[in-house]
Amino acid sequence: MPDGDVFAALANPVRRQLLEALRAGPRAAGELAGQFALSRPTVSEHLAVLRTARLVREEPRGRHRYYHLEPVPLADVQDWLHPFEQYWRARLIALRGVVEGEDL
Amino acid sequence: MTSIEVDQFIARSPAKVWRALTEPELLARWWAPGDIKPVVGHRFTLDMGTWGHQECEILQVEPEKLLRYTFAEGSLDTTITWRLEPEGVGTRLFLEHAGFNADSPLGRAAIEGMGNGWPGLLRRIESTVG
Repeated sequence: MPDGDVFAALANPVRRQLLEALRAGPRAAGELAGQFALSRPTVSEHLAVLRTARLVREEPRGRHRYYHLEPVPLADVQDWLHPFEQYWRARLIALRGVVEGEDL
Repeated sequence: MTSIEVDQFIARSPAKVWRALTEPELLARWWAPGDIKPVVGHRFTLDMGTWGHQECEILQVEPEKLLRYTFAEGSLDTTITWRLEPEGVGTRLFLEHAGFNADSPLGRAAIEGMGNGWPGLLRRIESTVG
């Protein structure tokens, strides 16, 4: 996977679940491992991929490292949905034309 | 994880907008032909032209208020929710198309397209769903 590849980082379901969990606030790696019944090294590997993709950032607190969600690169992900959004806007205008143009 | 939300004002009652969402003949005129029926559990197919026939299943029905169904099982694997709210003399129609996954077959195709540049992807989406 190329360094910092947001899509490759998101392609893994465990990593998506980790991001979902971080939406509630920063968590320590150990807490995340407990929540997903995964080994610490496995969680650390996934967090490293997310960090490289700049989807999370690390913050040392005492002996623990906390992970925060970084929302900015997710904008790139929304980009691939943009054509769908354009598509739906066009369909909704067509729908309005059908409903307003006909004596339903 | 990712979704699209779009809304549109229509200067007609929710009852009329509901018909355009749930009657096959009207649905075909603004979107796609298919044997839709607003009954929970009803399975139907939408003919999306070159994008293929897409399998759907009705999940939730509140007449003239809410309609939710699965869309494109096995390819896009998403959920479409229509919500109708009276607004002034007409209806505000809200669409949520949810559950887009970067690792669905279509998601992968879209992302590979991005490697070839944004305009290429736009053209491909237009030609497949347009």
